[in-house]
Amino acid sequence: MVDAARHPKVDVRTYTEVERVEGFVGNFQVQLREKSRRVLADRCNGCGECAQVCPIEVPNCFEMYLAPRKAIYVPMSQSVPLIYTVDETACIHCYKCVEACGKLDAIDFDLQDRVTWEDVGAIITATGFSHFDPSVIPEYGYGRFPNIITAMEMERLNNSAGPTAGDLIRPSDGKHPKSLAIINCVGSRDTRFNPWCSNFCCMYAIKNALLVQQHYPDTEITIYYMDIRTPSKGYEEFYARARELGIRFTQGRPSLITEDPETHNLFVHSEDRDLGQVTEREYDMVMLNQAAVAQPDVDTVSSLLNITQSPGGWFMEYHPKLRPMDSPTDGVFLAGACQGQKDIPSSVAQGSAAAARAGRVLHSDEWEIEPVVAVVWEDRCIGAQGKKCGICSRACPYGAIEYEPGKPAQVITAKCHGCGGCVAECPHNAITQMHFTDAQILAQIRALLARNPEEKILAFRCHWCSYGGADMAGTSHFEYSPNERGLRVMCSARMDSDFIYEAFRLGAGAVLFSGCHSQDCHYITGQPVGERRAERLLGQFEKAGMTPGRFRIEWISAAEGDRYAEVINEMQAVLDSIPREQLLEEIERLRPEMEKRARRMREAPQVDEALEFADRLAEAMLVVEPS
Amino acid sequence: MIPDEGNEELRIGVYVCHCGSNIAGVIDPTVVAEYATTLPGVVRAINTPYACADSGQNLIKEDIEKYDLNRVVVSACSVRMHEPTFRAAVSEAGLNPFLMEMANIREQCTWAHGHEPEAALEKAKDLTAAAIAKAAFLTPLDMITVPVTKRAMVIGGGVSGISAALDLGDQGIETILVEKEPTIGGVMAQLNKTFPTMDCSI
Repeated sequence: MVDAARHPKVDVRTYTEVERVEGFVGNFQVQLREKSRRVLADRCNGCGECAQVCPIEVPNCFEMYLAPRKAIYVPMSQSVPLIYTVDETACIHCYKCVEACGKLDAIDFDLQDRVTWEDVGAIITATGFSHFDPSVIPEYGYGRFPNIITAMEMERLNNSAGPTAGDLIRPSDGKHPKSLAIINCVGSRDTRFNPWCSNFCCMYAIKNALLVQQHYPDTEITIYYMDIRTPSKGYEEFYARARELGIRFTQGRPSLITEDPETHNLFVHSEDRDLGQVTEREYDMVMLNQAAVAQPDVDTVSSLLNITQSPGGWFMEYHPKLRPMDSPTDGVFLAGACQGQKDIPSSVAQGSAAAARAGRVLHSDEWEIEPVVAVVWEDRCIGAQGKKCGICSRACPYGAIEYEPGKPAQVITAKCHGCGGCVAECPHNAITQMHFTDAQILAQIRALLARNPEEKILAFRCHWCSYGGADMAGTSHFEYSPNERGLRVMCSARMDSDFIYEAFRLGAGAVLFSGCHSQDCHYITGQPVGERRAERLLGQFEKAGMTPGRFRIEWISAAEGDRYAEVINEMQAVLDSIPREQLLEEIERLRPEMEKRARRMREAPQVDEALEFADRLAEAMLVVEPS
Repeated sequence: MIPDEGNEELRIGVYVCHCGSNIAGVIDPTVVAEYATTLPGVVRAINTPYACADSGQNLIKEDIEKYDLNRVVVSACSVRMHEPTFRAAVSEAGLNPFLMEMANIREQCTWAHGHEPEAALEKAKDLTAAAIAKAAFLTPLDMITVPVTKRAMVIGGGVSGISAALDLGDQGIETILVEKEPTIGGVMAQLNKTFPTMDCSI
């Protein structure tokens, strides 16, 4: 901690939050709000005289609310930086602190938040994790029985810098416990709460048992566990040492904790698999080893940085094996427990690894980005003919399209991120997206629907989320209907109405329109552009009498492989529920309307050629089919 | 049909990967390659045990010259896995990297339809044909280069963020370490001694 504060190249900004992130790899602009401490950082010397005179005491969250702090405070004596902060929610503005500060004059109640913009080339997200609140498990009685504490409370109670100076005492009577039960997997590996293993708690239980035993050798300590997981270097040896030193390990998940109201001693009811029977043992104190959970503000950070979440709110890495430190956003990296529950050695290692990944960008003079940008076909743009339009400019989340009546719209290439929203929104087919042109996509649609289209589920997926979700389904071997035929574009905003009309015109059995959840969208507001269009299409199809479920809109993240498989299987069930003759009749009945609605699709460049080629391709595909 | 360099003839090479048994354990890649041979624009279609291995990449590179290929389709895994690999390979053989298209017949086919090999084979054919359809209309593109601001930001001042910031700092990169609380340290600073070394957390 001190090293970071002392490092000449590291600028530590505490009490500061990220409010906005703009830009792209190599060129991010980040808005920071440094909250006012009401104390001047360059004048406060951390002497603490202000806190001594402050008359207000509130529970200190750093001490897990086991000790008070003043309304002007530092969270702990080793705070970095050692600068006091006024807690405005507690302060009564008596200004005794100002008096005590005297000539130093470091306290200024007029000090305001400071908002700055910082230019950076890369961002590492290391926002950590939070702890599960065990009071929601009724059978354990946390919050009702005073001598049940959490692991984090234990950390403070047996810490020499903590509220009891390292004395482990029972909250009910201040006495040392003679017996202690530690219960593992509290909120972890429990499908009612969190399915995951929280990774570090087994070792953490053993550590706390050993520390308590070291301090109070006569304490009887039992660890209740489901499995002991010690897969890292030196961990199994650590576990063996604890057993040698007399820590008792009982395999079983306690089902109930009761209390003697007189003594406040606790009775832990649990199976003991060694004995093969249910036991009820009495303890002076119980520690609940609570699960690691995602930070409560994870959604905010997710949408600021366009990072998808895995189930449970952990940040999703670009690839679980090959790019575990990279987020899906180029130039944004992940480190530590925000990516998944992990212990200190792994968090430190990930921090270094993320720094190395970021270093690849930061040590380069230039960085290459994919040229999948939008291009305006100026002679088609009606802006050039003096007509009012500007739809493209309004659809762009990045302000990358300049529109002025009388001139064709202009794409500022450096600002374009390549979502393709403007391309699909342009009613005059005057914009295309490089590498995802109408011609290319329409040719793909024809090929995918060349054979028995009525049996097919054509799935449009965005690159970042639902294509990743389909990959995840495969990686996890979640099986789904093989009648699915997937097509990838960068963002759901690119999914042109014409593509959907064309798919149904060609006789597709069903069409899926899928992309990121709104907060995960890689292009700020690309997904809402896609969603509005998809909803409009859904309304049109309903009105036209299409069987519900043949056109479906779903937002599926890269982590939701199970969801992808489920959606496709549900769509298959819809198709299976329609008698074939009826489906073919419906396709024929709707074909003229689809044809009419898609009539302008041929206006886009090269579409005629692409369709001609795709028809030849389809013909060849059909020739070889009988086998 | 091909917009670049006049109207040169379309010459597509199609490479169908076995990925060991990941793909070939469910479908027969040779059948997909034979199927591709019959499709317009395809002048060469062949299966390969591991397209991403040196042998597979060399095959593609040699074929680009031998068959004068101007488009390459790789039916293998996810673009999220090996698109950079095959772009680099075709680029080394002198073809613009954006003239390569992939069909995902592993994650999105054999891995998802392991118990329906016949249907998986039909799907692999269609996905390969669709990649051929797109490939026919690919145009050469150049990567866009952007300047890099040589400054970093680390969000979160716990043990991982501190570690990242110190490493970046030691690399000579000016780094802003942002922490929402009044002190850095995160959960680690609240801990007593830490396993397995039993040393102080701060």
